[in-house]
Amino acid sequence: MKAIETKLLKKTYGSTPVVKGINLTVEEGEIFGFLGRNGAGKSTFINMLTGITRPTSGSFTILGVEGPDERMKKHIGVMPDYSTLFNSMNAIKHLKFLSSLSGKPVSTTECQQVLKQVGLENAGNKKVGKFSFGMKKKLGIAQAIIHDPNLIFLDEPTSGLDAESALHIHRLISSLKERGKTIFMTSHNLDEVEKICTTIAIMKDGSIVKSGTMDELRSYYRSAITVELKHAAVPASESQNLYAWLETTGSELRRETGFTSITVGSEKKIAEIIRAFTRCQVDIFRVEVNEPSLEEMFLAE
Amino acid sequence: MIAIGKREFISMFKSVKSIIIIAILLLTSYYSAKFSGLLASGIALTEKEMADIHTVGLLILLFIFGQLFVMGLSHDSINKESHERTMRFLVTRTSRLQILLGKFAGAWLFWFTCLVISFLVIAIFALKFDFFIFSQVMALLTFQIALTILLSVAIPKPSATMFLGILIGLLFPALGAWLVFTDNPWVSWLKFASPYYYLMEDTYQFLIIFGLAGLLLAAAALIFNRREF
Repeated sequence: MKAIETKLLKKTYGSTPVVKGINLTVEEGEIFGFLGRNGAGKSTFINMLTGITRPTSGSFTILGVEGPDERMKKHIGVMPDYSTLFNSMNAIKHLKFLSSLSGKPVSTTECQQVLKQVGLENAGNKKVGKFSFGMKKKLGIAQAIIHDPNLIFLDEPTSGLDAESALHIHRLISSLKERGKTIFMTSHNLDEVEKICTTIAIMKDGSIVKSGTMDELRSYYRSAITVELKHAAVPASESQNLYAWLETTGSELRRETGFTSITVGSEKKIAEIIRAFTRCQVDIFRVEVNEPSLEEMFLAE
Repeated sequence: MIAIGKREFISMFKSVKSIIIIAILLLTSYYSAKFSGLLASGIALTEKEMADIHTVGLLILLFIFGQLFVMGLSHDSINKESHERTMRFLVTRTSRLQILLGKFAGAWLFWFTCLVISFLVIAIFALKFDFFIFSQVMALLTFQIALTILLSVAIPKPSATMFLGILIGLLFPALGAWLVFTDNPWVSWLKFASPYYYLMEDTYQFLIIFGLAGLLLAAAALIFNRREF
């Protein structure tokens, strides 16, 4: 079953289109990363799917239920962006209150378990108003998973967290996936998305400009693979022909004694380059292939 | 709805507000009995009303200041959640109607509890629990709570509802009383929309006030359904 499916989902504020008719499918069990610059429309998109705002047009289904529908709310967990929590409650009461709203009351022990999962095991009885920013962020994640939902929306779950806490949350997200949950997250942290997400969509000016698995996206952007070779000195008799051929094969050719770097358009070219060096009886000591990082893909858009 | 209502009720009741409200109600009751003669000279009271002066005093108090009290306590019950964005946690978990009804139920239960405590204390001295006046007062309070919820939904800023709440709290009873007694044919029909009209006589007409409150809540639900957070 598809966890999320949207058809021409659109949101307009006045005459300004914020989300421009998005078609998107998220399969169950995925960690779906939603990337985009500030103001790209990521949060508005999540808000429409979770009932915070209503779409101007288009349709969507969540876990097979056509939205907006109250029935789906029991099965989703949401950590909205920039939300303040209920400051007068302590963490346990906070979780109990929100879980009972979802129709799944939880015990104090269950609350403590979830607090432990997010790294707040010692803060259960502390008032939320006294929490630091990072603690509030973690409690935001805890409240999104307390009622054991099948689909979890996390809007920038680790922004503002220190590296150790962020790593903790990454592990938690991965463990949720292992338990069969679907996670739909937005992030500005490209490394994070690259590390933990199975599928990615890049949003720009209210539209999805590219989506797919990490490998699919990489193959799309593989028009810029940089190959670096450490090799023995090229014999003078072969040098002119070899480098002349390399110049026609790729771009950004850099040559030093025992080192050559070149940017090529496909993986096939890598093998051709290695064969060319071998034909010239040049020993190759090391080959490094630098694929475009998510950041480079993102910036390309 | 139950979780929201419970939270609303507890947050209102555990603060000093409940003690103040109960104290005001009891003091009003005590002084209306003490100065019943003075009260009777200002307002035309029947013999039965004179006999039930403790509770009639409460009804008069809530006639005049009820809307102000309710507005003062609950003017931001919904828009505060929107303003602080805690509403996002609620709307992603339950329906907007449930949120609205939960907020209403919490405030209603708070006033119900305060009134029951006050009437029980009065009953100790007056040796009588007047269910009819209790129901009339609750009907009026139900309308006032529904109007306050509508205001809190319609106006997104808590600071604006605080100001408007005081204004409406003071003007509403005056306007309501004027509508009931005016002969002006252009506006006198509006008296049917005023809860005060149905409390003028000791009949079960006051039950209509619950219907008016229902209409206000329906209007609030319509507006709330269109809100974005």
